[in-house]
Amino acid sequence: MTAVRNPAIRRQQAARGAAHQPGEARFWYIVAGVAISLVFVLPLAWEVLRSFQPESAISSAPSAQSFGHLSFENYRALLSGQDDILRNVINSLIVAVFTVILTTLLATLAGYGFALFRFRGSGFAFGMVLLAFMIPFQAVLTPLFMELHSMHLLNSLLGLSLFYTTFNLPVGVFVMRNSFLQVPAELIDAAKVDGASTTKTLVSVLRPLVLPGMATTALFAFLFSWTEFLGALSFLTNDNLFTLPVALSNVETGTYGSVNYGLLLAGAVIAMIPCVAVYVALQRYYVRGLLAGALKG
Amino acid sequence: MAPTVATRPATEPQARRRPRRSAQSRRNARTGLLLAAPALLFVVVFALYPLGFGAYISLTNWPLVGAYHFIGFSNYAALIHNSVFVESILFTLKYTAIVTIPIFIVGYGLAVFVRGNRPGSTVFRTLVFLPYIVGLVTESYMAVVELQPTSGSANWLLSKVGLASSSTAWLVHYGLALTAVSILVIWFYAGFAMMMMLAGMQSIPTELYEAAKVDGAGWWTTEWRVTLPQLRRWIALSLIISVVGSLLAFNQFFIMTDGGPGTSTVTVVMSIYDTAFAQMDVGLASAMSVVLVIVVGLVSFLQFRFLREDGV
Repeated sequence: MTAVRNPAIRRQQAARGAAHQPGEARFWYIVAGVAISLVFVLPLAWEVLRSFQPESAISSAPSAQSFGHLSFENYRALLSGQDDILRNVINSLIVAVFTVILTTLLATLAGYGFALFRFRGSGFAFGMVLLAFMIPFQAVLTPLFMELHSMHLLNSLLGLSLFYTTFNLPVGVFVMRNSFLQVPAELIDAAKVDGASTTKTLVSVLRPLVLPGMATTALFAFLFSWTEFLGALSFLTNDNLFTLPVALSNVETGTYGSVNYGLLLAGAVIAMIPCVAVYVALQRYYVRGLLAGALKG
Repeated sequence: MAPTVATRPATEPQARRRPRRSAQSRRNARTGLLLAAPALLFVVVFALYPLGFGAYISLTNWPLVGAYHFIGFSNYAALIHNSVFVESILFTLKYTAIVTIPIFIVGYGLAVFVRGNRPGSTVFRTLVFLPYIVGLVTESYMAVVELQPTSGSANWLLSKVGLASSSTAWLVHYGLALTAVSILVIWFYAGFAMMMMLAGMQSIPTELYEAAKVDGAGWWTTEWRVTLPQLRRWIALSLIISVVGSLLAFNQFFIMTDGGPGTSTVTVVMSIYDTAFAQMDVGLASAMSVVLVIVVGLVSFLQFRFLREDGV
């Protein structure tokens, strides 16, 4: 072995070593992997199952028989009764759609500007955008509350979306700038030679190339706005405008009557589903953004 | 941000470099600024301005509604005597100390497990990461239901193996509540730590491992002498992100303990939230926020130092 100097041959040998892994080791690897995965997935799956139990079973000692009667009772009660959270689900969707569109649009434009145009102060401006990443939004909550108040954006889904957009922009701009930097220079020069305008270049030449970056930005903005709690709790005081996570705190404390854990579980599952669906569908875009977000710091 | 100021000097060095394109590059400069302006405006208006505004408010006795006066550094002086705030700092530090290392160790272990291209490893990565995606808020609500005495699944499971009685009231005792929240957070965050470590491990040149193999290094030696040193900056980054996250903890405690019993599990952010929105003392809350920004800023600064030391 020591005689082999050529890295290509060494790599081949290493690869052969992996391929020769005995079937038994592979079997135990899968067994261990399944066990580990269960630790992380089973609690979530368990809650989904529990949410179909009647409230009486959820608020009394668990037993095997209690899984005999699974029904949509909690969901029906949650989406129609006194605790109607359908409005809150819609509020969350409105905020998420606003946030996703605004963040993706602004981050794409800014990424285009920062990557392919040189202007005085562009480094400083980019630094300012990244600086916002260092500012924990938890620490500007009070002044932001007063600012939104004076702008009449308190108790407003639009106001909340603007706040979410701002704190998603640093990652978004960073991801989009990198996307535009990866576009081959010849392509941009060719578009210029053809006399394409800035807008036309962006829409017809560059768009397909930076679409993955846009997907990453949109995915992050969606997950952030869908799961955010503290900002929504602070900037919304009208029950009718509550987003889903905030509305669930009313369900938890039984603001409208007695505490009903069946409703709470059903609500939590409703909150969970879009995250899982979006993540599983767009997973490859997620990891890119995660690393970009971490590395930029 | 006035374009006249920004563009005129900007084009000159460029024009010197590329004289033929001066008119075009001036137009380019304006276009670039125009493209970046909306994002910049958002950041300035909703992040940088509030930061400065908060520092200003912290020097006043600003009530949520009504007139205010300048009171200098009185709010900061009052912080020292504000026992809830001081205790919240100590509690937040304690919580951070408890969860940081377990998150890292579990994350590292998971990354070692899934890093190879073995059958199933990518599926395991996805599944381990799910709790992070679902979010701590949703999971805290679920935990509230399952940690109830008599009816919760946690006691049911733990009493089967004799670790707890079925009447253990997790969320109303300080030690138990802190334990429950910490376990939930470690479970929630391990997937993220795994992803960071995994990215770091994948960036290590394979030649290093081949060389170690050639030298006859065993698994432990390779891990200790090759992987860990190569991962230094990733580990630092991951620890800092996790520490900052813990210092900013709010959701899990607000939902699961509401700061109780008493005010024993009030975190710094909860204390700020309560001072601003329940006691309506915006000046004092802003002073607390400034302290928080400075602490988080210091931790982030450490991150930069680690990265620079390594980047040589």
